[in-house]
Amino acid sequence: MTTTTMQTVQVYQVFIKATPEAIWDAITKPEFTERYFYKARIENSSDGHRSRGPDGSVWADEPTYEFDPPRRLVHGWRSLYDPDLAGEEPSRVTWEIEPQEGGYCLLTVTHDQLDGAPKTAESVAGVGWMMVLSGLKTLLETGEALVP
Amino acid sequence: MDDDRVFKALADPTRRHLLDRLFQRDGRTLTDLESELQMTRFGVMKHLRVLEDAGLVVTRRSGREKLHFLNPVPIRLIHDRWIDKYTERHVSALADLKTALEEESS
Repeated sequence: MTTTTMQTVQVYQVFIKATPEAIWDAITKPEFTERYFYKARIENSSDGHRSRGPDGSVWADEPTYEFDPPRRLVHGWRSLYDPDLAGEEPSRVTWEIEPQEGGYCLLTVTHDQLDGAPKTAESVAGVGWMMVLSGLKTLLETGEALVP
Repeated sequence: MDDDRVFKALADPTRRHLLDRLFQRDGRTLTDLESELQMTRFGVMKHLRVLEDAGLVVTRRSGREKLHFLNPVPIRLIHDRWIDKYTERHVSALADLKTALEEESS
């Protein structure tokens, strides 16, 4: 029973010295995401989660389940840029922004419901989300893009 | 947020072992994590607490169980802050040496 749970939930956290509003903008607006999210132009709104590559091709088009600025965002996840990943079941990504002391926020990203998407789980695990979150932190704290 | 906590957390073989176990398979219970260790449950809990305080382990409730997840982001940040900086310098020092030696020989 627990074996399935274990493989299909991933949790990442990072402290960022920025306001919840700034973090919210950075995760919902394409002009920010293209600077830290593997150049993807991602638009998150109450209508859906849409991602485009630098050449304009559609990388993701999934529903938004919760949209509560600037605290909580839940959306579907399915990568369309790779046929192997696109053929898998959609999974789910939850972003939580919690204000802390000293002008910091704790950002938690939970990628779950990966039961029907083992290749996706492997492709985002570890380095995948880690680069996104460290890049996001660097962008917000220094204004510089970390990943070329 | 606090590099000291991460360095302290990593400066212990039991805690590194726990991180390696979570790297192999994420989302483990305390019972699962203590199974390979010659240590009391309380001792393992204390180590997990240090890892949690450093942000290297995040816990989530799943029904009656508390699951432990590896959060690699703080290690990445230390890498960016410390390792990159010095390897870059090392590489450029070697490059300078090469230039100097080649100039000498010509």
